[in-house]
Amino acid sequence: MTRLLDGALEIEHVVFDEETIRKRVKELADQICEDYYGESVIMIGVIRGALYFLTDLTRAMDMPVEIDLIGFKSAPKNSKDTGGVNITKDIATDIEGRHVIVVEDVIRTGLTTAFIMSYLEERKPASIALCSMLVNPDRMLMTLPVKYTGFEINDNWLAGYGMDVHEIGRNIPYIVKLARKE
Amino acid sequence: MAIITISRTCGSLGDELASYISSKLGCELITRQYALDNFFGELSEGTVARLNESAKFFVGNIPGKEMTFRDKLVNEIRMKAASSDNLVILGLGGCVILKGYPKAVHVRVTAAESTRIAATGSLYGIATDEAREVVAIGDRKHKKFVTTVFGADLTSPDLYDITVNTDRMSVEEAGTSVVELARRHDLRSKMSDSTKKNRSSDHQRREIVFKNPNEEEFARILDMYNIEWMYEPKTFPVEWDAEGNVTSALSPDFFLPKFNLYLELTTMDQKYVTRKNKKVRLVRELYPGTNVRIVYKKDFTDLASRLEQFGSAGDYDHD
Repeated sequence: MTRLLDGALEIEHVVFDEETIRKRVKELADQICEDYYGESVIMIGVIRGALYFLTDLTRAMDMPVEIDLIGFKSAPKNSKDTGGVNITKDIATDIEGRHVIVVEDVIRTGLTTAFIMSYLEERKPASIALCSMLVNPDRMLMTLPVKYTGFEINDNWLAGYGMDVHEIGRNIPYIVKLARKE
Repeated sequence: MAIITISRTCGSLGDELASYISSKLGCELITRQYALDNFFGELSEGTVARLNESAKFFVGNIPGKEMTFRDKLVNEIRMKAASSDNLVILGLGGCVILKGYPKAVHVRVTAAESTRIAATGSLYGIATDEAREVVAIGDRKHKKFVTTVFGADLTSPDLYDITVNTDRMSVEEAGTSVVELARRHDLRSKMSDSTKKNRSSDHQRREIVFKNPNEEEFARILDMYNIEWMYEPKTFPVEWDAEGNVTSALSPDFFLPKFNLYLELTTMDQKYVTRKNKKVRLVRELYPGTNVRIVYKKDFTDLASRLEQFGSAGDYDHD
């Protein structure tokens, strides 16, 4: 544990352990398979946080499925102008007319997810749905079509299962509440 | 989204612009030929040919009916406009027929005479003198049609919401601008419609002046995420005195059209937040279907802090 966090963060307690996550991921996978039975589905993970969730989710699905990844960051023009959010890793798949499920690790305000959804909608998929391991309904500002939710969370400071704090903690195989901010 | 009428001077790329916009919006394009085929298709070939040749013919009665060709044209176009979300009308006096129509955006397309002559010469493969003649005849005919049929002056700027000069602008540039204008006009038009249906008021004609730096910063955050917003577009009265005077109202700071969502920013102390929460609750009760959310101090601080961090290395995961 200490080695995983490199001593930079202190874990208060485990919020969702590996078994709880595994069971919930399987339930979500089964639900997706039931909803999209006979359809051609592409799962798009938002890097880097959703990597573990996307991996486990698609491996638990008992149907053919394509996967792809999308990533983004900002491009400031100068110190006063922050610029906008840009796609840094675009999808490689043509999604026009396809059923798309965007896979996120966590949705809080929903701003970045809204950005990605708008970006993908321009590619004219047949449908686009959201699957997030964690959702904080109290802080969500956008009205997003979150079809599949792993767990609802509050304002706790979390890490693990893809979530990081300055790149530390992503590879913790469960989700923990951190004791303090830096 | 919108009804777009396009009036053009000959050789100004107005026809190409109309095709581009209708293709971009995936909607019908009503041209003179479309009107002749679809509105007057049941008439004899001779009658249709005369309609195509002479504006005067439009003011005469349709054989066997107490209705002029002009009335028929007006009725058909208005019916099309009423039943369509998107429609492009090229020429035909569309700007006159749909003058004052809330959903319509009227566009005049023009260019310098030299540009138009060059474009016409290139289009038909004719010499400059011939092209000049074609342009003059075309302009004369367009003007005469609208004057004869509707008694209006096609060149009057009062008929148009926007005039596009294609001297230095491509069809794509002009088309993208017109589509964006139509989209925004449609949003404001819909907002005005909802205002008429309840007791809220619409401020969308105002210039944007943020009341405080936090609002301006929040607008920048929304811009950063490419989320379209309107600033304080409406006021929702929530309490009245015995005489019906408004005693309390909420003007949410932002409206996000894509999400049909009003956001009220609050960076104030908790005692003021409580009052704001009450107003939001009343808006939800009094204006069913109105989606309002409060951006609390913590949300704003987190977002603003992320705005400062943006530009650091790496990709972002958490929102």
